[in-house]
Amino acid sequence: MSKSTKTIEFKFERTIPAPPGEVYDGWLNPKIPGNPWNMADKLLLNPKVDGFFYWRVKDTPHYGRFTEIERPGRIQHTWMSPNTLGEESMVTVTFQKQGEDTLMTLVHSNLPDTDGGRGHEKGWNYFLEIFPRQFVNGAKGIGIERPT
Amino acid sequence: MDQLTDVLTAISHPSRRAIIAQLANGPARFLDVAKPFDTALNAVTKHLKLLERAGLIEREKRGREVLISFRGEPLREVAGWVHHYERFWNVRLDEFEQYFRDKKKKRGKEKRQ
Repeated sequence: MSKSTKTIEFKFERTIPAPPGEVYDGWLNPKIPGNPWNMADKLLLNPKVDGFFYWRVKDTPHYGRFTEIERPGRIQHTWMSPNTLGEESMVTVTFQKQGEDTLMTLVHSNLPDTDGGRGHEKGWNYFLEIFPRQFVNGAKGIGIERPT
Repeated sequence: MDQLTDVLTAISHPSRRAIIAQLANGPARFLDVAKPFDTALNAVTKHLKLLERAGLIEREKRGREVLISFRGEPLREVAGWVHHYERFWNVRLDEFEQYFRDKKKKRGKEKRQ
């Protein structure tokens, strides 16, 4: 079946000050703040290969199936919600030892690239990089150019 | 054009961002806005018109003066344009990382006691 929309993926990295096993366990423990399960109003979680999850937050349901569970290095599961427009997206989380810390990488792939979707070019870059700097540096001494 | 396009157009130019940065410190008169820039007042007027069209500035008459001030609300629409999951995971992961940082700090304190 051909897909109706172009897909995109996002990659996130964080250095977590704990060993991979502890971070891995924390990611699957609904009591630990920051993992998706922690924010659920209703949660069913069975983190083993072919185990399913269901979580609902603010009336928005999320479903998925675990495809890889390899403690302490890797978790992969599918992810469906109204925000994936019925498509099965994929979340892959890896935990790599980095000295005393863990480099945690999360890739969310196969997401529909909708109109209200990915921020890029002017808007996103502006927010991430340029705008805060503009406010820190102020306007003094900045030459003006002709309007475009 | 829709407002998002107007806002993105407005903030795409470095001079207009400089004007926003200046006005973020407080309202200013036209000549004060134009002062840091070495160019014709006409160019500044055009920049202000684009910022006004995007709703990023407003003019208010106070006595004999017209003050120009910055309005930040239209920028929220730009923030909302960012992909749902880009925001979602960044917020979750920041919180997750903070949990472990706090935990490490707490452990350090307990060891010292």
